[in-house]
Amino acid sequence: MGCSAVRDVIFVTFYFCWVQWERLLSRVEVLSLELNKPDLWDDPVRAGKISREHGSLMGRMKEVKAFERELLEHIDMLKLAQEENDQELETDSLMALLRMRRIVKEKELEALLSGEHDPCSCFIEVQAGAGGTESNDWASIVMLMYKSWAQRRGYGVTVVDEMPGEVAGIKRATIKVDGEYAFGYAKAEVGVHRLVRISPFDSGKRRHTSFAAVAVIPILGEGFSHVQINESDLKIERTRAGGAGGQHVNTTESAVRITHIPTGITAQCQNERSQHQNKSSAMAVLQSRLDQLEMTRLAQMNAQHTQSLTDISWGTQIRSYVLHPYRMVKDLRTNYEVSDPDSVLEGDLDDFILSYLSASLDKDEEN
Amino acid sequence: MLKLSITRASLSVFQTRRLRHIHCSTISCAPTQVKLQTPLFLRPPDHKVTLADLKKWHLWAKNISSLVGSRFLDIDNGPDSTLLHRELDWFIEDAIEQPKSLTEDNYNMSLEVSIRASLDDLYRLWNQRIEERRPFQYIVGCEHWRDLVLCVQEGVLIPRLETELIVDLVENATKRNAELKEGVWADLGTGSGALAIGVGMILGPSGRVIAVDLSPTAVAVASYNVQRYLLQDTITVKQGSWFEPLKDCQLTGIVSNPPYIPSSHISGLQAEVAQHEPRVALDGGADGLDDLLHICNGAASLLKPGGFFAFETNGEEQSQFLANYLTNEAKCFYGVEMTSDFAGIRRFVTGYKKE
Repeated sequence: MGCSAVRDVIFVTFYFCWVQWERLLSRVEVLSLELNKPDLWDDPVRAGKISREHGSLMGRMKEVKAFERELLEHIDMLKLAQEENDQELETDSLMALLRMRRIVKEKELEALLSGEHDPCSCFIEVQAGAGGTESNDWASIVMLMYKSWAQRRGYGVTVVDEMPGEVAGIKRATIKVDGEYAFGYAKAEVGVHRLVRISPFDSGKRRHTSFAAVAVIPILGEGFSHVQINESDLKIERTRAGGAGGQHVNTTESAVRITHIPTGITAQCQNERSQHQNKSSAMAVLQSRLDQLEMTRLAQMNAQHTQSLTDISWGTQIRSYVLHPYRMVKDLRTNYEVSDPDSVLEGDLDDFILSYLSASLDKDEEN
Repeated sequence: MLKLSITRASLSVFQTRRLRHIHCSTISCAPTQVKLQTPLFLRPPDHKVTLADLKKWHLWAKNISSLVGSRFLDIDNGPDSTLLHRELDWFIEDAIEQPKSLTEDNYNMSLEVSIRASLDDLYRLWNQRIEERRPFQYIVGCEHWRDLVLCVQEGVLIPRLETELIVDLVENATKRNAELKEGVWADLGTGSGALAIGVGMILGPSGRVIAVDLSPTAVAVASYNVQRYLLQDTITVKQGSWFEPLKDCQLTGIVSNPPYIPSSHISGLQAEVAQHEPRVALDGGADGLDDLLHICNGAASLLKPGGFFAFETNGEEQSQFLANYLTNEAKCFYGVEMTSDFAGIRRFVTGYKKE
């Protein structure tokens, strides 16, 4: 056990260092050159920015070097303890290494979830692809997967909107996932999810392929700038108004749909117990959608971000779930795969998410 | 036209007086006879059942809800299975101390679950929902309305979702003219107290609302709801017919959702309404306008100059008729407008008393 713990620590630390190290070095070099230029302070704003970045990078380098030194010390101690057969020292060193491994894990996660909106709560939306009942059923399985995933992580889950399929499953659904870093993790799930199985809805027992699209929208908290919504730009309708209404009708159905006329963006909610509450939930969804639209627009203006644009919109296929003729879930972006689809569909998604997040961090480094 | 309306209005005064008389006699015999029912969600979770028994009940309730299909919808525009299933979820939310225990994966079937009514009652209540079409809101004893949870029971009209908008109309009016927040407002035919409480919250600490209802049950329930929202300093609940308890009051605003369904339509309403809700809160006379016209005429004399009113109507025809009546016949109002509900039906008439 001792040896494997050491290997883990070394591996993770190595990984943690090398992900950033090379880039850090070259960036520091560039910044140092800038800092040494005699005309640096002609533009004090830029100079301030450069010297601040230089300072912060130097701090990070120092931190990594100190960490490396500590790691090597503990490994030497462990070797020594084993040579001298000093049980107590061996235990101490192992404990220290294990503690360092925990710190490294935390640091790694910090690096993975450093996006501006990562700490936000979010909405997750699932939309069934074409194909009727089988794909509606797949959409509801995907939705259930996210509900379980979110609950496992201790997030609050509320269904905002759900449009059932005619026979089974759902055509579309939106859930709200409440909690720290919900968006940071869930954003890794954006895209099209593909299922291959023998459809229980096909009496001929044929193999079917169906698709479900997943969108994730951050809920920007206070402190972020929101798109201003003009009351007069909104059209608010009941989605299932029946008959004369008013005193004639006693119904607990109070779903509303809000359309933002200038953009055509809509949001609806039906799961609250009053129309007023349905309206405010739908408004919250609409606000987040408009905020996201604005973020996309800003990102488009900034050429550097065009790379990540495809990550925001629905579209590309990201993962394949095969239940027949073999059993496998494979992420097409990272090639990460597991052979136990059931556990994934029950919400065991963290490994997929983390491997994608690390891969996209690496990709960012390369750019 | 005007003459005809006034006759109708006076007729309605006569009718309501007669009704009031009957109620008054019962109340004078036994003023405390109205028995308030505690809504399910406010009862203590004193009953224990095993998870196994609860799941058995849940399965039964789901099944009899599914069996309804679209039958009620086809007969009288009643609830379909989808709606009943959602109501069942809310019933569970109100009845079980930890509603999640029913849906979470839990294989310990002998686990004890705390519920707010006996298991027999759960069976009885859900059976009433399906077999007797007893309104869901009477079953759980409350209705979620705006951001409020209002207690309701038989004898009190269940507040409708359309009516929520009247509070928005009042809020918009007070935003345009902050003076409307001062002075006394009236909610005529308050029922559960919904409008009075909604408006009271908009007016804030300086506001005063008098909530009036003919029915002693409504008065008791409205008073209870007012207390639950700690608004007894803002809202006074009075028993009587329309303006009667307001003699000599000068009102800043009037809101009302009076009975407006034409008498002949009552028997054709969905079972939840026709068989369970108080007819006195629904039946507005031959063309449904008796009480609305009476209130419009009363508003002409009791509303202060510049005072605001918002009334709910049966829809297009009544709104059109009242808007025309208030502008062209009554001659003492201005800024009369019709507003649609979210189903696109012109539902509300608002306006101001001339200076």
